[in-house]
Amino acid sequence: MAQPQEVKLISAFGSPFGHRAEVALKLKGVPYELILEDLENKSELVFTHNPVHNMVPILLHGNQAVCESLVIVEYIDEAFDGPPLLPVDPYDRAMARFWAHFMEHRWLKPFWLSLWTNDEVQKGFIEETKENLALLEARLNGNRFFGGETIGYLDIVACMLAHWYDVLEEVTGVSLVSDNDYPALRRWAREYTSNEVVKQCLPDRDLLVAFFTKRKEKYIMFANALLSQ
Amino acid sequence: MAEAEVRCVDFWCNEFGMRVRIALREKNVEFEFVEEDLRVRQRSELVLRMNPVYRSIPILIHRGRPICESMNIVEYVDEVWSQPGGTRLLPADPLERAHARFWANFVDQKVFDAQHRFFMGRNEAKETAKAELVGHLKRLEEVLGDKAFFGGDEFGLLDVALVPFSSMFYGYEKHGGVDMEVECPVLARWVRRCHERESVRSVLPTGVNMYEIHKFFYGIE
Repeated sequence: MAQPQEVKLISAFGSPFGHRAEVALKLKGVPYELILEDLENKSELVFTHNPVHNMVPILLHGNQAVCESLVIVEYIDEAFDGPPLLPVDPYDRAMARFWAHFMEHRWLKPFWLSLWTNDEVQKGFIEETKENLALLEARLNGNRFFGGETIGYLDIVACMLAHWYDVLEEVTGVSLVSDNDYPALRRWAREYTSNEVVKQCLPDRDLLVAFFTKRKEKYIMFANALLSQ
Repeated sequence: MAEAEVRCVDFWCNEFGMRVRIALREKNVEFEFVEEDLRVRQRSELVLRMNPVYRSIPILIHRGRPICESMNIVEYVDEVWSQPGGTRLLPADPLERAHARFWANFVDQKVFDAQHRFFMGRNEAKETAKAELVGHLKRLEEVLGDKAFFGGDEFGLLDVALVPFSSMFYGYEKHGGVDMEVECPVLARWVRRCHERESVRSVLPTGVNMYEIHKFFYGIE
């Protein structure tokens, strides 16, 4: 019988994108080697295996590389046996992919920019982030997870709404939501981060706070550069 | 009169919508084309109701339920209308599927973005965008290599994702002197090969028509 091919995940400390790939591997019960890159000093591995974007995460399955976290999660779901991450029904799958696209293309940038900008510009991003949160709150529709009763693809994709969210609020002092807002999302975040499998892939909270705090000035500079483009 | 089982809300010159219409035709799915005129600023009640999050097209409405985002719709069409031995847009192998999705993403993030800035920009911004656009297309040409299609022997997901952009090649030349026959001859041959397919021929507008309407959208004289 052929040896199953080795799986390696090239990621970086604190990366929610890497976390997505790692959780998917663990949920499918796939053994893997985790290689953490220093994004400020990337190794040849990154340039070799992701020549297009030079980013992490990168999944290496044997000698084949898969890049882009959403593509990686779907690949893990399809290449390995185990409980399905995406729904089985085509319409439900389309809904899961739609909201994953939303997280990447509508949620991410305003959320990130609301943390590192000031004044009127920041107010605009905060408003937009709140609107997006309202949409996601509605999406949960009283369910425990976006996937229903168990963690699925969209929960994994939305991981930044848990763990990272309040770390970043703490680091920046930016309060996007007050205590009574978005109760379903809060409950979801607690459920997600207390899941036994997810817990193994979450970066240590204190280390994550220190990580972002150290890079605060850099993020503020990049955010302002992005705005002036 | 009963509503058609499959409706596609789109506008003739929308590159993203062309993907959906090509996919539907490849799968021989009968559908009603519901036109949303993008020259009108205000979106229709149908679009606002069916795509409240993005308020954009294309939208596929299947038995009254909307599916939005072009590549998402293409994957849905491929999954729902699949028959043994029938056309499949996504390959069976997970790694090939991952590569098709990766490069389809690349088309969305890089090619469309550069194209947009190429038409929006003036002077230096335009030249920079033009160089990026050609660079991205050359990269895709490498991915194609000596295969007939991005999908290999068969027309597939990535072919569907990229071929609508070929209707802008005439515009690239008129707007910025980019001759795709010279810059990307392999890609140009692939475009001609795609045009042998009825699905592509019946959906893609002429280069002249695409350029004219994009001049309108981008305010180009």
